[in-house]
Amino acid sequence: MTYPPGNPYGGGNPYGGQPQPGYGQPPGNPYGQPQPGYGQPPPGYGQPPPGYGQPPPGYGQQPPYGGPPPQGAPSGVPATLNPQSLPDDDNVNPYVFCIALNGEWFMSKGAMLAYYGNIQFDAVTEYSSVQAWVANRFSSPVYIQDWVVAQGHGKLLIGDRGFDLNAYDLDDGNLTIKASNLCAFSKQLELKQSIVPGFVTLIGTGKFIASSNGPVIFVEPPFRADPDALLGWADCPSPSVHHDAQWMTQNIRGMISGALGRASGEERQYDFTGQGTILLQSSEIAREDPAVLRLVESQTQLLTNAQAGSLGQRLVARAQQQH
Amino acid sequence: MAQLTAHKRVLHADLHGDRIRAASGSMVAVEGNVDFKSSGMGGGGGMRAALKRAVAGESISLMDCSGSGRVYLALDAMDVLVVDLAGDTLTVESEHILAHTEQLRLDVQFSGLRGVTSGQGLATTTVSGHGQVALVSEGPVMALEVAPGAELVVDPDAYVGSRGQLSMNLVSGVSWKSLVGEGSGEPFSLRFTGHGLVLVQSAER
Repeated sequence: MTYPPGNPYGGGNPYGGQPQPGYGQPPGNPYGQPQPGYGQPPPGYGQPPPGYGQPPPGYGQQPPYGGPPPQGAPSGVPATLNPQSLPDDDNVNPYVFCIALNGEWFMSKGAMLAYYGNIQFDAVTEYSSVQAWVANRFSSPVYIQDWVVAQGHGKLLIGDRGFDLNAYDLDDGNLTIKASNLCAFSKQLELKQSIVPGFVTLIGTGKFIASSNGPVIFVEPPFRADPDALLGWADCPSPSVHHDAQWMTQNIRGMISGALGRASGEERQYDFTGQGTILLQSSEIAREDPAVLRLVESQTQLLTNAQAGSLGQRLVARAQQQH
Repeated sequence: MAQLTAHKRVLHADLHGDRIRAASGSMVAVEGNVDFKSSGMGGGGGMRAALKRAVAGESISLMDCSGSGRVYLALDAMDVLVVDLAGDTLTVESEHILAHTEQLRLDVQFSGLRGVTSGQGLATTTVSGHGQVALVSEGPVMALEVAPGAELVVDPDAYVGSRGQLSMNLVSGVSWKSLVGEGSGEPFSLRFTGHGLVLVQSAER
């Protein structure tokens, strides 16, 4: 599999694992236009104010204010984008990705920011009754209602909560990713539900777009990751759960008596072994994933009626405790 | 002439004995001698606009900053964009206005059904005149051009504002049938036709 072109974040890979620049697509500025005014020195306070900035070419009327060109940030509307100037399958800025749609893409519901052209959005459940291949590609009943099929021609802009977006090319590979961070994937890829709750696996050859809160960090096993910071993993076996030894000894009595052990949250890690790559995001902010509830609910079918009843009692007790 | 300059997520407002209006509570630091005072009914445009605003549910709470010095303004660490207006009109969602210079006029424009669906009030704010207005957005703002043959459809939550001769109407993105029993998604989007620019932020909610 290949990773995003270039390293848009400046620093090298702190773990020395995966070479990033030049991997896959040609490097270069993946975000098109540089941010106006970023990194420029602010005009000193007390100096005569610079005149209003020149408007971007081809836009609006010339403001009637004269004066020297500004030394600070250029003001006015950022460079205008239109269907021709929007990039094909590339980032517009670190938080927005533009898909040159020609056919079908799977898209997370709510990821659409804007689009040009003639594009239709249909729920995957709806679309699979029309097109049989959809059911083959999207085999996850838990997540299917959170996804739509975008079909048509045009430029489609997607974003996710203002997180960083990156496109990844999968070349006859398999990659597992946190479901709430997957924004879109091409129809050549196949999506399956991972054994690890809250994660989905993409298999095949194609492109997908995923968000991360902060830059993505690539690590090689053996490695232990915080479940919240874990974005996904590629080519390596599914992780096992590692519990802190000290936490284990402290809580072993509690577990025997049947209480669900809850502590700081740092005592539990995902343990990776074997060959592959692990993707981490540099933040632990997790979003409530509605699918997790459906996922756990579906698993309760494994319980006998008596077991389900006692689980229900425990859950009621927990909900009452939190009030 | 007061001068607004965007520096990443902070707006620098340089005052020279004049006045700007800024979102209440957005001041983070101040240099020099600047007075702050609530604008009363808020938003400018006089009593009539304030009344319209109250009816329309377009909420905006502004304060007057006057004096000499530099005021640092910021809101929820959102990106700041300064737009120059030279006699033209900018339509903007009121929650995105951080500050504007004194000469600009704020008014309320009813936008029909759109406000109902986006949950952002029944009306949008128009800013017109000569001067500068500073907008906040989640992530940098993209200016997307609308022209005949290049119509644009925007998620209501990503919409910040627009400029030019545009008409806006609602389109249903995902079909009704597919939405039954499902809370999230994009039941409605805004379709823009005509000539102009639409400002879109990079977070959808």
